[in-house]
Amino acid sequence: MKKVVSLCFIGALGVLLLMLVSSMPRMGDPGSPTNRRVVDRYLEKAEEETGTENVITGVILNYRGYDTMGEVTVIFTGLAAVLAVLGREKRGRVYAYPDRSPVRSSIIVRSAAGFLLPFIALFSLYTVLHGEISPGGGFQGGAVMAAGMFLFAAAFGLWKAGRTVPPRLRFAVEGAAPITFFLVGVAGLLGGGEFLAYMLPRVSAGLQPALRTWLTLLVEGGIGAGGAMIFISVLMALAREEVGGGQAA
Amino acid sequence: MSDALSLVLLALLVVTALAATFSRDLLAAVIVFSGYSLVMALLWQRLQAPDLALTEAAVGAGVTTVLFVTAIFKTQRMEEEGGDRHRRGGANEKESVEK
Repeated sequence: MKKVVSLCFIGALGVLLLMLVSSMPRMGDPGSPTNRRVVDRYLEKAEEETGTENVITGVILNYRGYDTMGEVTVIFTGLAAVLAVLGREKRGRVYAYPDRSPVRSSIIVRSAAGFLLPFIALFSLYTVLHGEISPGGGFQGGAVMAAGMFLFAAAFGLWKAGRTVPPRLRFAVEGAAPITFFLVGVAGLLGGGEFLAYMLPRVSAGLQPALRTWLTLLVEGGIGAGGAMIFISVLMALAREEVGGGQAA
Repeated sequence: MSDALSLVLLALLVVTALAATFSRDLLAAVIVFSGYSLVMALLWQRLQAPDLALTEAAVGAGVTTVLFVTAIFKTQRMEEEGGDRHRRGGANEKESVEK
């Protein structure tokens, strides 16, 4: 009985959603609401107004910077909550990782990972730093870096990964994303400007475009570094097991 | 031609989604789900959203897969018959009463 009711409910919901899909504008339709209003302005002025060649980056970080800052704050608060539930490494305690067996991963895995990792790291940096010109940006680059570190952990062991990226470094950098975003935003307020205007006071008009690009890059870098570190922290927190030391919690 | 490729990708998307949902082997489900993310990334690219494609490939296929595998490592790999997924909690009393 319960199953029949659930199936009916899901079926009705599916039909409803599909009906809505049919009323959506076609992709690239010049008459759709998104294409009628702001797109022309973005395409024509984005590079000049935001200092980024990639229009997507300009829209996300500049035109809609306020929304993006909110999103970044929500995502990082969520990840911080996950970390709070899973718990932090504490001084003087001993931790074990489930993969700490005497059998190492095969030489094929280790060689392939060792060969790929430099390229993954380079691609991650490229995605962050080149995000204002080509597709990509801070979050994507940070996620690529985190995936690379996960590969490292899978090939060489979580324990080694935990030593390569020590907790002290992770704790320091984890919050970088919302913090740099907010600081750059407040910097725009100095000297009577607007929040998130990507400007600093007392900079000559000639230098403003370059400054905008650099401040955008700073935000991208903060999101990338913070994102990579907090993902690695979640993995370490999820994987480790406390085996001794300290007093019972 | 390009429509045919999209159709193949969309079909793959549905197949991987169903396979991930119905697999009792959770590790297999996670790997198939990673394949789902990869297909989704290709579809984003075909929809001319390379930024999203990058995010989907890195987060969906990379990061979450490892997190899921770690979670399975710490719980159990096979889903039990009868839909009870809790190892430590044992059989859910409410459910067993209903049966």
